[in-house]
Amino acid sequence: MRSFVPITIDSTWIAVDMATVREIGGPVTWIALPTASAVLPGVAAWRGRAVAVADLAAVLGAGERLTPPTGRMRTLYLQQGASTLAVPVDAVREPLTIADGDIRPPRARTESFCTGELDVEGHTTLVVDLGVILDGHRPAVASGLL
Amino acid sequence: MVHVEDPRGRWSVSASEVIRILAAAEWTAPAIDVLAALGALPRARNRRVLVLRGARNGEVALVAGGALAVAEVDPEDVLPLPSVLAAATPQVSAIVVASDASLSLLIEPSAVTCSSDTVVGEELCPSHS
Repeated sequence: MRSFVPITIDSTWIAVDMATVREIGGPVTWIALPTASAVLPGVAAWRGRAVAVADLAAVLGAGERLTPPTGRMRTLYLQQGASTLAVPVDAVREPLTIADGDIRPPRARTESFCTGELDVEGHTTLVVDLGVILDGHRPAVASGLL
Repeated sequence: MVHVEDPRGRWSVSASEVIRILAAAEWTAPAIDVLAALGALPRARNRRVLVLRGARNGEVALVAGGALAVAEVDPEDVLPLPSVLAAATPQVSAIVVASDASLSLLIEPSAVTCSSDTVVGEELCPSHS
């Protein structure tokens, strides 16, 4: 059995591993970094430290991109290895526990960060591995003059 | 700390690193736009240049596209960038949290570099660390 927190970005349903969720809060105040990537566009303050802001809309190509200084209606603070991410989302649903056998191989998306699919409230919901997203979308160092 | 109210994002520098502040029109050497990657420098009537202590005791000039303010900052409100972002953004060492929870990027002058000789008023040199 595994526990997930279902979230939505625009009309896309995503399931995040409950074990990575440190806190669920309201809109986050953040600031853009000049050499950040679309996926990790900036930084926010959380519990007395700075944390990277992740934009799942940029990852999924779903919904409007984040624009500073505010995020979406809710924010998930996720622990991914040594890194904490602030992930603004449109909505957070009730956590649910799923038998491993109820997680299907991903069909709607084939990217490596999509590890499976499940049904939540009648919606096909992507199970995403934020560790893969973090590894694959670290900010690029600007080269030369922009 | 000196804060710059740039419309693209507030940024700050430690006041102890500021050598002088002057009107952009009075500065003819290259000046760096540290937020160039976030968009064009806003047009501002009172554009200024902050001359700071840079790497190896040199000077680095940053163009300020917004109003300046000087304020005390509690060290606890200066939060170093997380490692996942710090390596790619060496010219930003931390964020500064204001009393209203708004944020500012703390610029590290010694990590700001510019390879071209462009002049304020003609073309500005973006930061490219």
